[in-house]
Amino acid sequence: MTDFTYANTPLEMEVYGYDRVVKSHCRGCHGGCGVLVYVKDGRVEKVAGDPDCPINHGTMCSKGLAAPQIAYHPDRLTHPVRRVGPKASGKWERITWDEALDAIAERILAYKEEHGAESVVMGYGTGRENEAAIYRFANYLGSPNVLTAGHFCYGPRIATTVITCGSNPIADYDNNPACIMVWGNNVTISNPDCYKGEPFSQALNAGAKLIVVDPRLTRPAARADIWLQLRPGTDTALALGILNVIVEEDLYDHDFVANHVHGWEEFKARVAEYPLARTAEITWVPEEKIAAAARLFATTKPGVVQWGVAIEQQVTCADNNRALLALMGITGNIDVPGGQMLFRQPPVRNVSEFGAHKALPPEQAAKRLGGDHFRLAGNFGIINPKYVWDAVLTEEPYPVKMLFFISSNPLMTRANAREVHDALEKVEFMAVADFFITPTAELADIVLPAATWLEMDYIGDFWKRHGWILPRRKVIQVGECRSDHEMLNDLAHRVGQGEHWWDDFEQGLDWILEPSGITFQDFLKTDRMRGDTTYRKYQERGFSTPTRKFELYSTKLEEWGYDPLPQFREGPMSPVSRPDLAEGFPYILITGARQPGFFHSENRQVPVLRELHPDPEVEVHPETAAREGIADGDWVVIESPRGAIRQRAKLSEGLDPRVVSAQHAWWFPEKRDPGHGWDESNVNVLIDNDYSNCDPAMGATSIRTLLCRIRPETDADRERLTGVQP
Amino acid sequence: MTRYDLGIDEDLCWGCKTCEVACKGENGAPYGIKLIAVGEDRPALPDGSTSFVFRLSRCRHCDVPDCLEACNFDAIEQRRDGIVVLDQAMCGGCEACVTACPYRAITFDRKKRVAMKCNLCHHRIDQGLLPACADNVCPAHCIRLVGASASS
Repeated sequence: MTDFTYANTPLEMEVYGYDRVVKSHCRGCHGGCGVLVYVKDGRVEKVAGDPDCPINHGTMCSKGLAAPQIAYHPDRLTHPVRRVGPKASGKWERITWDEALDAIAERILAYKEEHGAESVVMGYGTGRENEAAIYRFANYLGSPNVLTAGHFCYGPRIATTVITCGSNPIADYDNNPACIMVWGNNVTISNPDCYKGEPFSQALNAGAKLIVVDPRLTRPAARADIWLQLRPGTDTALALGILNVIVEEDLYDHDFVANHVHGWEEFKARVAEYPLARTAEITWVPEEKIAAAARLFATTKPGVVQWGVAIEQQVTCADNNRALLALMGITGNIDVPGGQMLFRQPPVRNVSEFGAHKALPPEQAAKRLGGDHFRLAGNFGIINPKYVWDAVLTEEPYPVKMLFFISSNPLMTRANAREVHDALEKVEFMAVADFFITPTAELADIVLPAATWLEMDYIGDFWKRHGWILPRRKVIQVGECRSDHEMLNDLAHRVGQGEHWWDDFEQGLDWILEPSGITFQDFLKTDRMRGDTTYRKYQERGFSTPTRKFELYSTKLEEWGYDPLPQFREGPMSPVSRPDLAEGFPYILITGARQPGFFHSENRQVPVLRELHPDPEVEVHPETAAREGIADGDWVVIESPRGAIRQRAKLSEGLDPRVVSAQHAWWFPEKRDPGHGWDESNVNVLIDNDYSNCDPAMGATSIRTLLCRIRPETDADRERLTGVQP
Repeated sequence: MTRYDLGIDEDLCWGCKTCEVACKGENGAPYGIKLIAVGEDRPALPDGSTSFVFRLSRCRHCDVPDCLEACNFDAIEQRRDGIVVLDQAMCGGCEACVTACPYRAITFDRKKRVAMKCNLCHHRIDQGLLPACADNVCPAHCIRLVGASASS
């Protein structure tokens, strides 16, 4: 470790009497920030940003600062437990790790023997940097079914970028983009995977122009040079309309288009279907604003598109991504300084190799649930969750007998929560590894205590595409908690795949680093490593696609039977496609706007974070609220054809009066009954997960655009929704 | 003599509330009590539309503090470096300061019956450290200690 350059670490140590400080790498979200962990008498007392870290430059977010409160939380599960009562009875007994892993191993082997490895479904949520280890386990087991959020979160970015240009282009904030187009994203309070709010802020402060596309007036939207307030779910149309202006007005990069793209003529014909008038009609965005945004972005170089998950959680998921990739491409911003970089990792074994995807026998891969339906997803090892619930509930196309969720709370975070609940209640055996006994874990047979990032050694950001890797250093041990990687390494030996794993997981980290010629112990002596940052690599090598070109026209999508060019499709639950339904459910409901302090369903039991948002809130325009008789702060009932939930109204002029915006993943750890109020305010109760409500290529469930009505809550509503009598 | 205050550029604030949590970690205010609080403001624009900014509520360490005047227990003093310090041990719980503060920056702990406010982490400043919220935690770099002699 080098000395700390400008945090006054020695003085902090002296004043507070800390015993030591450890440089590590936070994973309060997907990871990313370099941190200093201050320790006194063996306990973590404080987490601060590492000023030397090139990713966050010493700054932090609320989640990272609260890490000690999560690690030492009184409700934390600190030893394995086995359920002794019926599901959701809250009755557990303490067992040893050996008992827990032996019981899980026994079930895995028995189900594999009787029903095939595909009957065992592994799962993770947004991921705690354990994704590759989980895939490794499933692939060597022979199960093609790993249930993740990948159908509608980050997986689409990987799948669409790989088929278009070989890898995920990352905004190169360090080299000062001159124009930033933020599309359906609030990078300053969320974590869109490879990005952090700090470098984005710095680029803006350095003078970058800002265009924001968002149905909500976020703070970035308020600060933008141009804000495009689109109708939810019309992103592909807006992007194609912008592309059409750029093509029509000859603002594209001629050299890039002439030499490096595939399918220009077909692409030109497609975008010509989106003249300004039609685009404005579809998207609600005025023509002049669309044209102005197109001109500003195309003429202000270098430019980046800051994208995220919102555009992926729609029925046009893949086409949204592909249209924005086209925007990055034809403006000449791919792989240029301050543009959209195809960064390279340091020479290590990558997540694909560590995930052992080649170990899955082709005959097992062919059994992937929904693999021949959602073929873009299937080719990237990703499945749609409903296929799993259906296989549990109907045993078609084959029975799923076991679920093993590692850092996942699907009851709170997957569409059609009541169907998820039915499946989790019915499944024959379920294991969960997590920090707390969540509403999902309450339905498990065995729950394993997972380690937080303070309690593990790891190669941080190993899975990302920004080119950095950073050491995560184990600082403390809490109870019997174990990292997911160590747990899987142990379990692997118990199910007969030990030869593909290691005596100790640190040897696995050595194996990842081996191509660099160093061990994990060597890596710990460094602050970080970065891969080669050569620009415009495609000029010599082309892109890593079938045509070696940037595929505006995707040969892979064509091969898999899809439209090779992006095309707007109206979602199945919109006022345009279902005017009949919109009579009773007149508002467009959008969901999932991020809240500082929470990471999806996590952290609601942490007082300093819960205090930031004590109650679930739904944003409503004051005109709409007045029409419905709702005052600011009222508890209201939000209803879709699928059900009803309660949240508190927050009046906001920042949305169109026809749109309301509800928060996601709310449960109430303070409710001590085993349900923890999972269905009271859970927006996924309202959301349809039917296959028709999913992207046909990626299987992304549309959770960002549905129809609802909203009204003040009555006493009877409260009793019905909370079970508490008024 | 250096006079200290927090310099906050609200135009840069993204509303991430990291400062709130950093303050909690240092000063341990109970649940519901914030010594620095990020709030939303939606000012009307000349064209009839509405903007959106974050405002930070915190003690301004006024040159002539109304709270000090109002206090019935001599619990509030102004240091020579400008920091207005509320000593909870001396607070009698009359809430006169809460009413007197023109910025509504003083909160009241109903359990302990004492007033609480930002004392500008004077215990850190006196040791040569920056206040918790201004110690390079903010991803927007919008909070700094004004008047600090040692740059950090």
